[in-house]
Amino acid sequence: MNALLVARNTFREATRDRVLAGIVVTGLVLLAMTQVVGVLALGEARRLTVDLGLSAISLLGLFVVLLVGTNLVAKEIERRTIYNLLSRPIARHEYLIGKWAGLSAALWVVCAVLGVALGLLLAVRGSHGHVGSIAEAVYLAGLELTVITSIAVLCSSLSTPVLSALYTLGFYLVGEWSYDLRAFADKAQGMAGGILGVVANVVPNLPLFNMRTLASSAQVTSAGHLVIATLYALVYCGCALALATAAFESRDFK
Amino acid sequence: MRTSRRFAAVEPVGSAPTPVMSYPTTFNRAPRRAAAREVVRAQALCKQYRSPWTLKTVDGLKDVSFEIAAGEVIGLLGPNGAGKTTTPKMLTGLIKPTRGTAWALGEPMTSVSSRRRLGFLPEQPYFFDYLNGVEYLELAGRLSGLAGRDAAARAREWLGRVGLSDRPRLILRKYSKGMLQRLGLAAALVHQPELLILDEPMSGLDPFGRRDVRELILEQRRMGTTILFSSHILPDVEMLCDRVLIIVDGRLVRTATLHDLMQHGAHGVEIRCVGSPVLEIPPVWMTKLARNEHADGTAFLLADATLMDEVVEWLMRSGVRLRAVTPQRATLEELFLAATESTDLDRPEETA
Repeated sequence: MNALLVARNTFREATRDRVLAGIVVTGLVLLAMTQVVGVLALGEARRLTVDLGLSAISLLGLFVVLLVGTNLVAKEIERRTIYNLLSRPIARHEYLIGKWAGLSAALWVVCAVLGVALGLLLAVRGSHGHVGSIAEAVYLAGLELTVITSIAVLCSSLSTPVLSALYTLGFYLVGEWSYDLRAFADKAQGMAGGILGVVANVVPNLPLFNMRTLASSAQVTSAGHLVIATLYALVYCGCALALATAAFESRDFK
Repeated sequence: MRTSRRFAAVEPVGSAPTPVMSYPTTFNRAPRRAAAREVVRAQALCKQYRSPWTLKTVDGLKDVSFEIAAGEVIGLLGPNGAGKTTTPKMLTGLIKPTRGTAWALGEPMTSVSSRRRLGFLPEQPYFFDYLNGVEYLELAGRLSGLAGRDAAARAREWLGRVGLSDRPRLILRKYSKGMLQRLGLAAALVHQPELLILDEPMSGLDPFGRRDVRELILEQRRMGTTILFSSHILPDVEMLCDRVLIIVDGRLVRTATLHDLMQHGAHGVEIRCVGSPVLEIPPVWMTKLARNEHADGTAFLLADATLMDEVVEWLMRSGVRLRAVTPQRATLEELFLAATESTDLDRPEETA
């Protein structure tokens, strides 16, 4: 219950922040610009629109996480607004879960708005076959951002906003290359291979959430893939939030 | 931004209703009797801070023990850096003790539920500046366990109580410092706590704001709320508190009722005379009797009140016309300074 109250407040904070409104407007402008670039794509305009539109959703969502998410806890500690919450009957894990859930909800709204705009744009251009694939791709992009938000909350509960942003960006970049890292770990010998294998398992498996190539060809993924991606996201978020709670539990607020 | 200069008055339970400003009915409650029930108990609280770079430890609090009974108003005094902010933060779970433990309202301070009936106003409170006053108080109420409708009703009523109801939808980033302090108090009180912890509640307020906060604390005291507050403004502490805890360098050096503190303080007498009499103070009183010339006469300051009769008799025998004989009482400020300047800090002294 308390986590829901914190989540509602975090959602309100994110949606009243000009950053989020700016990101949504930027996304809509980028979608419009795909129509200009599409002229140069020689018959591949629809594919380009879908690919650029879905990339915009993922990258703009990442910006929101880096700009808002990495400040979530650290800024509250710095500005001492955290006293307003933790001096009340709220467990620290409820606080962290609430923060993560609130920002994740705001990101899902961003994904939904931009996803609907992309769908409408394609419908206006007479392409109705992409609706299912775009819906799936936007859903997976939302899951990906939810996972990155949990990492941002973990980093934010341990470090300063700037360092949190750097750590979160690092996790994102390495996570995007986790398949290659795993393949490299399999080929590497000895301790280096072991370390790379551990790193590949610790960083989020972000390619699991990337359906942009399929969606641009108007293809849908399997239900099994969606279920596995959903379960993976939930387990990963749970682990990241459990670690954040363990680190946060003993923290003093001077 | 126009706000009413005074908090709305409280209608004491059982008296005739006042038609213009009345206390919201939802907050009326029978005054709790100040029984001997213990509301706060701190046992050997210690806090050590370790530098992450040098690994050196600094003591923030050293073996602090005290109890607060229900209905008491306790002032926490101490110079800057003494540990008087650390203590309330420990009781509210914001800082964990290195050693020792404390109970608030019968529950260990480590338990989340110990904060259910507790209201806290931090020093220089910061708020979620994207919310408006009603939203913030509603959130505060709900987080303290109030149901949705109850929280909404109390939020509106408390906003009025602290004189901020003119523009309930004004966002907090447009509030002045005094308005934020009032809102912080309303947030600490919105769920009607049994224990109120206020860290420098008068800091940064103008005289009107200080008076309003003082009245609110007195009102809570009349209602039987147990209050622990730290302050640098000693006249306020003197006016509001039953007891004071003086913390110096992380140690509790004195716990005493105000009455005891004043009784143990130095007592002198001021004897005012007409004109400027030609007198030589007897050598035996040289160290205890001082003479000050004023425009309207002479004042003799006697450090030891037990000598008053002898000195008055001597003055009258010398033909001096007395105008007034006034006993002098040490102020809390003098007592506080004496306690903090004392070099014998190793053994806490219990006087009450």
